[in-house]
Amino acid sequence: MRWDFASVFTNTDALLVGAIGTLHIFVICLVLGLSLGLVVGLGRYARTPWFRWPATAFVEFFRNTPVLVQILWFYFALPMLLPFEISPLAAASLGISLNSAAFSAEIYRGGIQSIEPGQWDGARALGMSWGQAMRRIILPQALKRMTPALTNRAIEIFKMSTLASAVAYVELLQQGKLIASLNYNPIEAYTTVAVIFFVFLWPMVQFTYLLERRLRRSE
Amino acid sequence: MSYRWDFTPVVTNAPLLAEGLVNTLKVTGVSLACGLVLGLALALMRLSRHRLASWPAGFVIEVFRTTPPLVQLFWFFFALPLIVGVEMTPFLAACVTFSIQSAAFFAEVFRAGIQSIERGQWDAARAIGMTHGQALQRIILPQAVKRMIPAFMERAIELMKTTTLVATIAYADLLFAANEVSQKSFRPLETYTVVALIYFFVIFLASQFARLLELRLARSGESTVH
Repeated sequence: MRWDFASVFTNTDALLVGAIGTLHIFVICLVLGLSLGLVVGLGRYARTPWFRWPATAFVEFFRNTPVLVQILWFYFALPMLLPFEISPLAAASLGISLNSAAFSAEIYRGGIQSIEPGQWDGARALGMSWGQAMRRIILPQALKRMTPALTNRAIEIFKMSTLASAVAYVELLQQGKLIASLNYNPIEAYTTVAVIFFVFLWPMVQFTYLLERRLRRSE
Repeated sequence: MSYRWDFTPVVTNAPLLAEGLVNTLKVTGVSLACGLVLGLALALMRLSRHRLASWPAGFVIEVFRTTPPLVQLFWFFFALPLIVGVEMTPFLAACVTFSIQSAAFFAEVFRAGIQSIERGQWDAARAIGMTHGQALQRIILPQAVKRMIPAFMERAIELMKTTTLVATIAYADLLFAANEVSQKSFRPLETYTVVALIYFFVIFLASQFARLLELRLARSGESTVH
């Protein structure tokens, strides 16, 4: 068995296109997932059941179904109900974002609940409304505690972005598939893709470890 | 909306979906069993004082935790057979990938659990003449495993969700059966909705069971290790 990476390097531009595709969907899902997660997380914390129940149902449903099933549902099933087609990017982004929203909602909820009730009382004593207390007092403290968990989510989103290849969205793994089938070099093509993902993700993982350690020391 | 729902194709293909669900559970079960054993071995290697044991274990754990599972699966299905020269079935590739992948995660759970046991327990075991292995087996692991159960359950549920990836290499799991039924019947909406609900039902039950177990453990005074 002779390894020959030359056939992969001649296709660097294809990999580059794939890397841009991966980063593209990663950013979309990161922004949508984490911001929607905050809304849902606050909804789960609301006192009115009108917000709490839908938020809870949303979290339970999306946490308890596989992402790939959600992506395929949005890609193949949803267009039956809509008058227009859904692009691979839209389907994959919807699946990954909603799934990440459900998981990050639990992180936000846990973070907010971890703040002592005295902080709420203090804010109320100063005449702040619920929204003001949340924005000015609770969230800034809670966010600090949540950062390691949220960066972990970001890493998960990055890894999940490969699932977009199942609906033929052009990202790194999809390009790896293409290169492997054009040059009959699956070993080199898939090894290269794995190494690229490792290179992207390893610093993020190490950064999370660092955050966790720093947080443990400061708490 | 004028779409007319028709679940009859899904109902007539129920045996196909049931077979898919059985295959999903099969991959999950095999990977879980192998992953636990391999995970314990990796954790013990990583905790070892010998670098020849701890470094390779650390390497495997880091690589499998920081690369996407789908990339791993493709590597084991398309690349590995060419290197070692054996025919790889989708089932085998899935079991190998998910066993090693979940082993990497289980190893960290084991490690955290073992490290959470107070040093005094080790000292006491040594004081009554136990070897390192005996202390681990009789004193440390029984206590550690109890603390690790919630984290294990969570990982097992994650594993079941991850097994849907095998549909991409044409193993006939539940999701693959859904692809087939929807293509055959031109009823993707009904098929994928039903399959999503089946997954939800099974995984939700597992989650509830995990939650119950966690509550029970919390009451018996054992903290959770994550």
